[in-house]
Amino acid sequence: MPTLDELAAAALLLGLIMYAVFGGADFGGGIWTALASGPRKQEQRESLFHAIGPVWETNHVWLIYVVVVLFMVFPRAFAALFIALLAPLVIALVGINFRGAAFAFRHFGRQTGRGVPLIARTFGISSMLTPMALGMAVVATAGGSIRLEAGRVLAAPWHWINPFTLVGGLIGMAICAYLTPIYMAVRTRGELQEDFRRRGMIAALVLGGLTTLQIPVAMLNAPAFAARLGLPRTLVCIALTVGCGLLTEVLLWRRRFAAAQIGAGATVAFTLLGFAAALYPDLLLGQLSIAEAAAPRATLLAFFTVLPFGVIVLAPSLFYLYWTFRGSPDPEAPPEDFRL
Amino acid sequence: MDNVMAARALMGVSLGFHIIYATIGIGLPLMLMLAEGIALRTGDELYHRMARAWIRPAGLLFAIGAVSGTVLSFELGLLWPRFMEFSGPLIGMPFWMEGYAFFTEAIFLALYIYGEQRLSRRALFLCTIPLALSAALSAVFVISANAWMNTPTGFTLEGGALRDVSPLAAMLNPAFAHQAVHGTLAAYAATGFGMAGIYALALLRQGASPYLKRVLVLALAVGSCSLPFMLVSGDWAAAFLAEHQPTKLAAAEAHFETMAGAPLVIGGWPDPATGEVHFGIKIPKLLSLLAYKDPAGVVRGLNDFPADEVPDPRLVHPFFDLMVGAFFIMAAVAGWFWWRIWLKDDITGNRRLLWLVVLAAPFGLIALECGWMVTEFGRQPWIIQGVMKVAAGATPNEGIAVLFAVFLLVYILLTAGLMKMLLPAEPPTAGPVADREERHADS
Ligand code: HDD
Ligand code: HEM
Ligand code: HEM
Repeated sequence: MPTLDELAAAALLLGLIMYAVFGGADFGGGIWTALASGPRKQEQRESLFHAIGPVWETNHVWLIYVVVVLFMVFPRAFAALFIALLAPLVIALVGINFRGAAFAFRHFGRQTGRGVPLIARTFGISSMLTPMALGMAVVATAGGSIRLEAGRVLAAPWHWINPFTLVGGLIGMAICAYLTPIYMAVRTRGELQEDFRRRGMIAALVLGGLTTLQIPVAMLNAPAFAARLGLPRTLVCIALTVGCGLLTEVLLWRRRFAAAQIGAGATVAFTLLGFAAALYPDLLLGQLSIAEAAAPRATLLAFFTVLPFGVIVLAPSLFYLYWTFRGSPDPEAPPEDFRL
Repeated sequence: MDNVMAARALMGVSLGFHIIYATIGIGLPLMLMLAEGIALRTGDELYHRMARAWIRPAGLLFAIGAVSGTVLSFELGLLWPRFMEFSGPLIGMPFWMEGYAFFTEAIFLALYIYGEQRLSRRALFLCTIPLALSAALSAVFVISANAWMNTPTGFTLEGGALRDVSPLAAMLNPAFAHQAVHGTLAAYAATGFGMAGIYALALLRQGASPYLKRVLVLALAVGSCSLPFMLVSGDWAAAFLAEHQPTKLAAAEAHFETMAGAPLVIGGWPDPATGEVHFGIKIPKLLSLLAYKDPAGVVRGLNDFPADEVPDPRLVHPFFDLMVGAFFIMAAVAGWFWWRIWLKDDITGNRRLLWLVVLAAPFGLIALECGWMVTEFGRQPWIIQGVMKVAAGATPNEGIAVLFAVFLLVYILLTAGLMKMLLPAEPPTAGPVADREERHADS
């Protein structure tokens, strides 16, 4: 039977996964706007922008969710992480600001997107910078470079830059770049759909390559983490990740896009679950465990008391949102029939 | 700039920036709800056009509100990790509930903005109800966290460690009630007057039209209706301070000596070194009367407290007077406006009146920012009143001044970009012209 602390940690992980699976696709939209190529460059960009429109703010709230859960239920971990990881978090934050603003300016502004290449460039660059920095920050919790002694946080100034975190950052970017084209393939038709299909398949290979690369890098650079990769629970997660990834490639190959979209989300979810499984029972590898970081019991109870009320409001609302904007990515167009 | 100073400055600038967008984020949903509701009830299409014309700037402002709010939630950790380590278990709950409110708000905003082609008119109107409600609730929740910093409850201390934690008691702390009412309604006052000013200006430039007249009246109605509540709840707030945060009240009123029958000081420049107020106007016994409903009540002054535990009245008193002054400016203009309406005057042709509305327009937001300065500067040097000083809550990291510079630059760039987007817009008569074709060219 999991303890209350562990359930809270699961809620935290769930937030992180939701942010990766939904918010990640937004960043991927920025990345593929920057990387748009071929004869249908402009169509690619436009469809990406249309698709992000109605959902970007909702997707973004998952990040707030993660931060709030962290300081409410794991205040000690929140303090330690935000002290030790100030630099990458600030970079991510600046990226989030420019990205959000650039997107909004382009979408709502008077000037049209074509006239303002600066806005598009800002959008592209910050969409890469943010998942990179966030990926580095998340992975740094397992890198062994942050130490806690008598309540003080000890870490070298550039501790967050090393091969292990750099590959982690690239994985963060790759996750985003992987999800978007697959989601887009469901929402487009014809040549454009083929464009996205091809991009999704290539990004899948890149993501697979990077996660595989991280294993030898961890052995050299983060041995304590690498040792945990051999645990049965981690191995199960890794097997599930590989399985989902391969299945998704096959589904893309056979143009079963709606199913591929679910497979891609599951691949990313299992990747993060695998990371968490290796980290467990710690929040900061070898330094701070879930139990040590947890808030007093009354707070955890309050957390879980509010949770169901929130879900009752949110679940139908979210469903209504995604249902209303199903089908064609252009929200101004009437909905089409949506087939699985 | 030392690290704590830089952290305070950064927090203050970020909050001062965010609250502008947050205010619109609370006020505008109410306006949308009213306009769509009236359109549905009366069948007057102008009201629907009105609401749809707001969404383009609204989307822009909401986006800036969301990113600046994200900065804030990170800053709690980047700047004040020690404070949050202590208070997270206590004030986490309102933030947690606020998260749900944000979610709901984001969902229904998206439905409202993008749903024109996919939803019925009734459904569009129904979307504005949870939108307005969740916006107001998000303010109420975050203000609860702030009120806790003013009147911390829901725990006991044992050798510096938390005991008997009760998040519910922390959320329902004593200052919560008056701050939530006063602080949330302020957003309606500020939005109402701000929008009224924009449309009064449009009337002055373009001459009368039924559309502009309806918008002006609706916006000013929202602003004016909140004003009496601002007065009553402001008075409640001051009386509350007399009891629970006497140093804040004393600093706000530039009141140095503890005395019975204390005078109210209007304006002037307090000098903490000598304990005098230069150039102020004194109204005998009024402060005692306002604080205790008794002209002979004893009001404690700043000199009654240890010198290192009182806020600087030079930072609090001017802002307090400006807030109250702004109230009277808005009340006067609103009074004249509704009197003219009562007389069935043609307000759209009354240029003097329209100019006055333009003049009063920024004072809602000015009062709101000033009120927050009173609350925040008035709590100094405490981050949690009586429990933790600001310096003890700050991050041990060096170089916060650099961070301050970075975010200042971010805010300047965001503001510049926003200006560029909003200013060249033609006057707000647009209505439905900004429709399909243009939106498509947009992307
Ligand atoms: C439109 C804006 C607005 C207007 C017209 C007023 N206020 Fe205000 N006031 C605020 C907007 C505001 C605020 C920004 O919303 C504050 C900051 C914190 C809070 O809860 O509300 C505030 C705080 C605040 C406080 C400090 C509360 C605390 O720290 O606990 C006092 C004593 C007053 N107000 C008193 C007044 C009085 C006597 C007013 C007029 C007659 C008045 N306010 C008008
Ligand atoms: C949005 C309106 C607000 C404005 C304009 C505002 C303004 C400020 C300012 C100017 C400071 C610096 C004070 C100083 O150090 O001398 C400050 C500090 C701070 N504020 Fe606020 N504030 C607002 C609301 C809030 C809310 C709702 C919270 C709730 C959590 C909050 C939390 C803090 C914290 C933690 C500090 C740092 C500690 C301190 O200096 O006391 N503020 N704020
Ligand atoms: C009295 C002070 C405050 C009020 C009234 C307020 C109100 C609001 C409102 C209404 C919104 C949504 C509207 C919009 O997006 O423009 C918003 C956004 C946000 N606020 Fe504030 N806020 C205040 C202070 C704070 C503080 C102190 C924090 C965090 C420490 C914070 C964090 C956020 C976040 C994270 C968002 C973005 C939510 C999203 O992604 O949609 N706010 N705020």
